[in-house]
Amino acid sequence: MKPFEIIDHTADVGIKAHGNTLTELFENAARGMFSVITREGANPQGSHVEKNIEINKDAGELEDMLVSWLSELLYIFNREKLCFNSFKIAGLNNNSLKAVAGGVSIDLYQNDLYTEIKAVTFHNLKIEEDVEGFNCTIIFDV
Amino acid sequence: MTQAWQGKLEKLDNFRWKIPQSYKPGMKVPGLIYASEPLLPGIINDKALEQVVNVSFLPGVVKYSLAMPDIHWGYGFSIGGVAATDPKNQGVISPGGVGYDINCGVRLVRSDLILDDLKPRLETLTNSLFNNIPSGIGSSGDIKASAKEEEEIFLKGAMWAVKRGYGAEEDLEFTEDRGSIEGADPSGVSVRAYERGRDQSGTLGSGNHFLEIQVIDEIYDEEKANIFGLFKGQITMMIHSGSRGLGYQICDDYVKSMISCLNKYNITVPDRQLAAAPLDSVEGKAYLSAMKCAANYAWANRQCLMHLARNVFEKVFNKSWNSLGLKLVYDVAHNIAKMEKHKVDGKERVLCVHRKGATRAFPPGHADLPELYKKAGQPVIIPGDMGTFSYVLAGAIGAMQETFGSTCHGAGRRLSRSGAIKACAGRNIDKELFNKSGIIVRAKTRTTLAEEAPEAYKDVSEVVDVVHGAGLSVKVARMRPLGVIKG
Repeated sequence: MKPFEIIDHTADVGIKAHGNTLTELFENAARGMFSVITREGANPQGSHVEKNIEINKDAGELEDMLVSWLSELLYIFNREKLCFNSFKIAGLNNNSLKAVAGGVSIDLYQNDLYTEIKAVTFHNLKIEEDVEGFNCTIIFDV
Repeated sequence: MTQAWQGKLEKLDNFRWKIPQSYKPGMKVPGLIYASEPLLPGIINDKALEQVVNVSFLPGVVKYSLAMPDIHWGYGFSIGGVAATDPKNQGVISPGGVGYDINCGVRLVRSDLILDDLKPRLETLTNSLFNNIPSGIGSSGDIKASAKEEEEIFLKGAMWAVKRGYGAEEDLEFTEDRGSIEGADPSGVSVRAYERGRDQSGTLGSGNHFLEIQVIDEIYDEEKANIFGLFKGQITMMIHSGSRGLGYQICDDYVKSMISCLNKYNITVPDRQLAAAPLDSVEGKAYLSAMKCAANYAWANRQCLMHLARNVFEKVFNKSWNSLGLKLVYDVAHNIAKMEKHKVDGKERVLCVHRKGATRAFPPGHADLPELYKKAGQPVIIPGDMGTFSYVLAGAIGAMQETFGSTCHGAGRRLSRSGAIKACAGRNIDKELFNKSGIIVRAKTRTTLAEEAPEAYKDVSEVVDVVHGAGLSVKVARMRPLGVIKG
């Protein structure tokens, strides 16, 4: 099972993330998002940083939590110029998420980044069960 | 992942195609697509038409879910989508009908220069623009605003920039809504949005945002061109940018808030990116007034960008921008929702017009036009791709009768970004453009060049011919690119 694939979208960019479990799906979706930003296989260099991430919100659907999780990482990337490459989710349900994300502090002007993601969209977003576990297609506005 | 459209598409005439309301239960109005036979295969092989159908589900939608000929698959609305909703008939406002880059738009600056004046300095000018205008991912600029000043930007838009010395009072006259839409309320802007907007004024951004030096190579309507101050052989400059991180965050905040109130208002949408709230609800009003803050920020941003570019011209030509005749022709928004008066079945109504990748195109005589342009109609600025053409059109009466005063916004993508990268593998797009057409291109990354390669886009001339032929706007002038800077 591939953790994620980058898929075609006319105006924007999408990924299809997979996971044996829901937490793995969430971790792989984050990996996919950063590979859109930095280019697949790229390995930006910089000093290592770890962040604890905690999201608490009103109960909604799990898809809403997936968007919140990715949006939170994107927000930290934009604010602190942290390019994440490892994700460990410690707790996940419809209204809370706890995770540790590791990455490197980068200089936007030194790194030839690939794509600016403006936002994580809800477009046709649906977490689906399959034989290997779960999958979800996520479209980013770029 | 794309799948050809299987549904019904009725040809009404050479420029109009209809998706009947009977296509799907839940559609409140039919879909109406402006296209020509040559553009149609590209449209059908995309997911955009299903999105036109989705928009027709919105409560209070009036007459049609519309699509311009540059339509392509987006999220929520298609890009090139237009829909008007009626507040008196439970009409809603949807952040997905505006998009994340609120008031992404284009401005066109004319000059007194002709091609011969520019040629010897084109390379210096392009390089200098590239070095002096912040661009690229997360770019921040030298134009900094404190939190208090940011609030001023939200409220006053381009006026804030002019007051700071970035341009002249006259520039406001030639900006849609004079660069400042009324009713902006900073209290609905989140701390995060403030933070993301703080140091991004006067930055271009990345992706399809650009600044381009052009020459007018064709005039279609002498009278209107004269009124707009345009002539054949003239050098122009086009700027395409939006509200940067501020707009993205406002849209993000409000899509989430509207998803959580879909049940409260008993609204069903086929795609949650279309989440909406009634125009007269607390949530609907809050979004509209926060959206206006981002719209004003975008007008201030394009005003700052023009100011930075004028400074570069001054240095390169050793003359003031005024003596170079660097005047703003017009600035248009192409991602916005606005309350506007329109006639529906003979009666005037105030409607919320969502334009997602579509441009306002008010006809001659419209009250909202600058005095100077009353006779010609509103200038409509249509950027093409970096290898072919861009256009100036003028709004026409057909737009008021059929499309709530709207027309197309660009060429529209034909290839996905990864499709474009594949198509350009192993090629040097900037070299090709230079060798073939003498166009100088500077971009932050090689990937941007491939993603934005001319073949990634539809034929802008074909798109423009449709809106011209359908009477939504008329062709005035065509520009060809000379120097391009990309984010």
